Amino acid sequence: MTADLNESVKKENIKIHVKGLKKAFGKLEVLKGIDAEITTGEVICVIGPSGSGKSTFLRCINRLEEATGGEILVDGESITDRKADIDRIRQHIGMVFQQFNLFPHYTVKENVMLAPVELKLKSKADAEKKAMELLKRVGLEDKADAKPRQLSGGQQQRVAIARALAMEPDIMLFDEPTSALDPEMVCEVLDVMRELAAEGMTMVIVTHEMGFAHDVADRVFFIDQGIIMEEGTPEQVMDNPQNERTQSFLSKVL
Amino acid sequence: MSLFKVLGEAYPMFLDGLSMTVRITILSLIIALVIGIFVCLMNISNNIVLKSIAKFYIWLIRGTPMLVQAFYFYFAIPQLIQGVTGTQFRIDIFTASLITLAMNAGAYISEIFRGSIEAVNKGQMEAARSLGLSYAKSMQKIILPQAIRICLPSLVNQFIITLKDSTILYAIGLAEIMNKAKVYVGRTMESFATYTWVAIFFLAIVTVLSLVSRTVERRMNS
Ligand SMILES: Nc1ncnc2c1ncn2[C@@H]1O[C@H](COP(=O)(O)OP(=O)(O)OP(=O)(O)O)[C@@H](O)[C@H]1O
Ligand SMILES: [Mg+2]
Repeated sequence: MTADLNESVKKENIKIHVKGLKKAFGKLEVLKGIDAEITTGEVICVIGPSGSGKSTFLRCINRLEEATGGEILVDGESITDRKADIDRIRQHIGMVFQQFNLFPHYTVKENVMLAPVELKLKSKADAEKKAMELLKRVGLEDKADAKPRQLSGGQQQRVAIARALAMEPDIMLFDEPTSALDPEMVCEVLDVMRELAAEGMTMVIVTHEMGFAHDVADRVFFIDQGIIMEEGTPEQVMDNPQNERTQSFLSKVL
Repeated sequence: MSLFKVLGEAYPMFLDGLSMTVRITILSLIIALVIGIFVCLMNISNNIVLKSIAKFYIWLIRGTPMLVQAFYFYFAIPQLIQGVTGTQFRIDIFTASLITLAMNAGAYISEIFRGSIEAVNKGQMEAARSLGLSYAKSMQKIILPQAIRICLPSLVNQFIITLKDSTILYAIGLAEIMNKAKVYVGRTMESFATYTWVAIFFLAIVTVLSLVSRTVERRMNS
């Protein structure tokens, strides 16, 4: 009875359920069957060698890549189903890219306001108020009227995070958000992400920042050869890896 | 100097011809822009039929000289229609010229549009879609505004080419500047002066166009 109850409580808390996810580009099999249950508020860091499919895994979660097998449920709803209303589902899954991808023809504030206004979720005035709040939060309220190209990389990435947060997502996906940054700007972006994690956002983060991953992750996924080779707490996976390939990967990056 | 004597004598003819040249160019470019948008949309769509039609059209226009296209629209197609329907069918010179120029420029403009859309960083569409914007909204708000900036120089270049290509229509008898010049030379033998003026007219228009486009570009980029 209690076991059943626990089981159902756990089920309810599963935010992202990945079942046997497969992805091939033509003949190249990149993901060969990924299984994962990510609960609400959990912070997952995904690590692994270059070309192992980390980005592909992340991009399948908001269907920027179409899975070629398996299923992904978000809040119990299949997003891999062809009939799924993907635009609606994406509204509550924020994504931050390695290359920021800010819209260069809009100001910083307009970047942040655009989606809520275009999707008629907020009036212009409300969206603007929210945008200014978010920019303040990432420490960039004074840049509201600047164009993206006038900002440093770290500043651009913080705007990109604010832009994603403007949709009030309950999941945030990060694909190597600091890899394109000069070393001195990495911290300012990681700090914003730490804060988000502390507030209970469900986050999936692909990163090469091992120290950060160790600090912030509830669980770490080591992806290699198209599967999750090893998973567990940072202490388990990073300090005391069991799998030979994890050991060899970590010895190279640490 | 005979240059100015010729201008003084022939300017009413030149003006007539130039006005026709400018009119046919502007009208055909307006139509070509519409053709360009639709053919580009067909070309980038996932519908294999629409895509094939677009590619076939571009292939035809690119692969044939404009002189042949002009003869085709003015002589060949009317004859075909006449043969099929069995009734008298003629197309006037202006219409045939307009179709030729518009179809020709339309194909190139559609390729300019496609190239510009493809030149917008792929990450832009992904960022827009990841926020929950539809494909159409992302195109409208994110991709197209950037593509327009990118395409502007090539578009002006195509306008210039079309303006100059309109002289080819003299061959089917359109009363544009080249045609008027030829008639004038036939009467007076003033080849050098006449064709010098024709060249100067084109240089002047093209120079003004280039200056305007550079100003617009500079304003858009600031
Ligand atoms: N659109 C695509 N078409 C074809 N192959 C692709 C495509 N996207 C990714 N791949 C291939 O899939 C494999 C996994 O790519 P992915 O980007 O997921 O790796 P990654 O783990 O994120 O690597 P990195 O650490 O370098 O970012 C690579 O071999 C890559 O070349
Ligand atoms: Mg990657």
